[in-house]
Amino acid sequence: MEKQYKLRNGPGPAEFRQKLNIIMVLASLALLVLTVRLWHLQVIKGDELKQRSENNAVRFRKIQPLRGLVMDRNGRVIAENRPSFDVLYMPTKGIDPEALVQKIKDIYKTRSVDYSSDQPFPKSFKSYLPVRLEKNVGMEKVALVETNSVDLPGVYVDVAPIRLYQDGEFLAPIIGYTGEVSKEELEKSEEYTFGDITGKSGIEKVYDTYIRGRRGNELIEVNARGKVIKSLGRIDPVAGSNVVLTIDLDLQKAAWEAFGSLSGAAVAMDPRDGSILAMVSLPSYDPNVFNSGITRDEWLKLLKNPLNPLSNKAISGQYPPGSTYKLIVAAAALEERVVKPETRINCNGSFQLGNRVYHCWNKHGHGSVNLHRALVQSCDVYFYTVGKMLGVDTIAKYAKRFGLGDVTGIELAHEKKGIVPTKDWKLARMKEPWQLGETISISIGQGFNLATPLQLAQAYGALANGGTLWKPHLVKRVELSDGTVEKEFLPEKKGELAFSRRTIDVISRGLWAVVNEPGGTGARARIPNADVCGKTGTSQVVSLSKDARIRRLKKLSAIHKDHALFACYAPMKSPEIVVAVIAENAGGGGAVAAPIARQILNAYFEGKQKSKAPQVAVYPLPAGVSANGVTPE
Amino acid sequence: MIFFKYDRRIFQNFDWTLLALVMSICAIGIINIYSTGFSLGDNQSPLYLKQLQWMAMGLAFMLFAFLIDYRMINRFAYFIYAVSIALLIYVALFGHIANGAQRWISFGFILFQPSELMKVTIIIVLARYFDDHKSHEPYLLRELFVPLILVMIPCVLILKQPDLGTALIVLIVSVSMVLFIGMNWKSILIAASGILAMMPVAWFFLKDYQKDRLLTFISPETDPLGTGYHIIQSMIAIGSGGFLGKGFLKGSQTQLKYLPEQQTDFVFSVFAEEWGFVGGLVLVIMFLFLLIWGLRIALHSKDLLGTILAFGITSLIAWQMVINLGMVLGMMPVVGIPLPFISYGGSAMFTLLGAIGLLMNVSVRRFILQR
Repeated sequence: MEKQYKLRNGPGPAEFRQKLNIIMVLASLALLVLTVRLWHLQVIKGDELKQRSENNAVRFRKIQPLRGLVMDRNGRVIAENRPSFDVLYMPTKGIDPEALVQKIKDIYKTRSVDYSSDQPFPKSFKSYLPVRLEKNVGMEKVALVETNSVDLPGVYVDVAPIRLYQDGEFLAPIIGYTGEVSKEELEKSEEYTFGDITGKSGIEKVYDTYIRGRRGNELIEVNARGKVIKSLGRIDPVAGSNVVLTIDLDLQKAAWEAFGSLSGAAVAMDPRDGSILAMVSLPSYDPNVFNSGITRDEWLKLLKNPLNPLSNKAISGQYPPGSTYKLIVAAAALEERVVKPETRINCNGSFQLGNRVYHCWNKHGHGSVNLHRALVQSCDVYFYTVGKMLGVDTIAKYAKRFGLGDVTGIELAHEKKGIVPTKDWKLARMKEPWQLGETISISIGQGFNLATPLQLAQAYGALANGGTLWKPHLVKRVELSDGTVEKEFLPEKKGELAFSRRTIDVISRGLWAVVNEPGGTGARARIPNADVCGKTGTSQVVSLSKDARIRRLKKLSAIHKDHALFACYAPMKSPEIVVAVIAENAGGGGAVAAPIARQILNAYFEGKQKSKAPQVAVYPLPAGVSANGVTPE
Repeated sequence: MIFFKYDRRIFQNFDWTLLALVMSICAIGIINIYSTGFSLGDNQSPLYLKQLQWMAMGLAFMLFAFLIDYRMINRFAYFIYAVSIALLIYVALFGHIANGAQRWISFGFILFQPSELMKVTIIIVLARYFDDHKSHEPYLLRELFVPLILVMIPCVLILKQPDLGTALIVLIVSVSMVLFIGMNWKSILIAASGILAMMPVAWFFLKDYQKDRLLTFISPETDPLGTGYHIIQSMIAIGSGGFLGKGFLKGSQTQLKYLPEQQTDFVFSVFAEEWGFVGGLVLVIMFLFLLIWGLRIALHSKDLLGTILAFGITSLIAWQMVINLGMVLGMMPVVGIPLPFISYGGSAMFTLLGAIGLLMNVSVRRFILQR
């Protein structure tokens, strides 16, 4: 390190002397300018600015935008806005906010109304932003605050829009609900500020960027008593865009009503493009309670309900598909040529594998059956035999082609994948090799198999339209508040079944016969207006549940009953609607689920007849709400 | 390789003036942050304590940067540059997001902002480049292609975070260094006209809020709601301080929290409100003294490398200070540039103290190196 340092060429530091001197002068000048400015502000304008600081009466006010409407496919409004009256406090000098809140409580007490603070009064608050004391108060409180305004300096009533769902309960799983922006959301994005309303689940959440609209601001000057004297500037809020769903409100209602008091889920979809016509999940909840602020007790009650009202079972309920899965095994058998349509297999009521016996649901046996009869009577032994010939991995290959075992990609969060078991899957998951007996179980849709109702609808839809797998979707388009189209969502093709025409014909004739031939298990889904093709299913609840679920079920006791399933489409010639129904712990598919599907199909075809005349979309605005904000009357 | 060899002369000629000056400015900063009384939440330590912790770490870094001969540091210039760029890329991919920007690396309880480190790294790497490519003639534009690339990579990465202020500082400091070392007049004209022509394109890439800020600066009254509000409140706070100030912890604008960003970019408003014109003047004079001292070190350095390094570090402090004060006093647009040693911000404190260590390094070694 002792080596001599020498500049071989290049400027020596001395050559910088001139430049550095100039820079010193420039830097000094710059600081001089800043100092002069400081003198100007502090000494020359000091008194004036001091005055302004002492009665700094400038306040911010946020103006919440109207959320966009959510409409069904015919333009009927599902989610709209209504005014909510909030009690706010404008920070005012020399007033103790705690005492003020006490005064409000005292005033309320004279009329025996309770003060319901939605949040404790913040310890530190910005003195230029109003603090909300109560939200969504009744007219009585509004009157009390207004008439006592002399005693309540800085306290005022303001109007903000909040969500209103007219038919909330049966649409909740789809549209979700709104709420105040959370701490995490605030940190993640600069677009939110404290107190904003955002979508918390469902369409409200996924399409929040469209629906939300833009917040407005107002800068106002207040007097010593916190009263607004004048507006110093205002940016109007911009209403959010409207979302038009593929849902048909009437069909949705019919599907909801078809369940009666049962729990479960149903999906109705157009097999020609994957648009969802109805999607219900029961039991449900009233999303309106979230908008005005849900109490902890209400929330816990929903959360702890064993029937899971908060989850959308159509996409996140995973069930063994039972005999509805025979569609896949039948298609695999024909395509792989392990059987011909006319191949007969004898069913004497049971199937022997090693020293284990697998029973057909009909103890007496179905006798000699071909594929057609096996579908019609849902003969288990036929499918045990065919399933064993195919092997688990071949069945899985076909199941995946039908879209099972993976999310469908619908626009909602929390969609589940279901399970299509394979040998590798079991080895990876349970560290155990595959047992042949398990192939027998999965051939009739029991065992490890799990599917969501939406996946079933998707699979049956693919068969119905002749082999195309469409991505199920809920949103048709997004419109600006004046009705012009902002974004259109076109149907998306996910894949092809690539089956021979004959395979599809044989199976669809079989499915038609399930509903329409004597002895068919799906006879209760027959309707007068159209030829229905379908398949019943009954899935055992206990045998395949995970330990934890068994324990929970045991604790609840009595609910060990099977799930009833039915998947179908109609009309046979050119299918327009596919329906998948699951009724939880309700019994047999033919007895319970098929009638539900029938009601949905009936509603669809009757509705179609009625609506021959084109409908005109009307979007009414609730009273007190203008196109770009809520104005108090 | 020996990284550090003990030499008595390092301590005999230690630059106490520089240390004392920087420590005094830091002390003012800590006291001022204490006054903002701002804490990050109930169970977190107050900001001034956090800043003190960062300052302690920064002093260790300063010692480190001081002890190793700057010519040795110079050898690692490209390595340091590569590490800094890697950190910026890491931030772009996995960085911690807060307030809509992805600027930080989270080390559990500590957040570090690599773009602050980049402000110093760019000085080291440019010094290395120009020391390697010495020339008696002013540089031509085509000879500056490599430095241009060296500067643009971090600038783009920082802009993407997005952090306009920091990217701007990296750019301005680099340009200052190039101009200082010497650039051909014609080349300067060509480059300047090129930049002017690019302006409309750059405008296109700015975020909406950044555009707003520039527009607001041109006419603050058009937007009393957004950034105009910041400037107005800042000027009220400063002005209301008057000649002698309202006194420590007595600034009503501050204590009532009218001021936005009062512990970071607008920290000077707090200071000026409580300590008045007298306090502000003292702080400005201390900064002026620091700048002159830094330029003096550049002047007396025994080699070109030392001159460039000292000039770069001084210009980093000078530009940040001038732009920040200009902004707070309502003379410049609001861009997020903190006031060195005074604004709250751990990463900035840490890396700036490291840079001061490097400055001391140059200052002391002129007594050791021979021409």
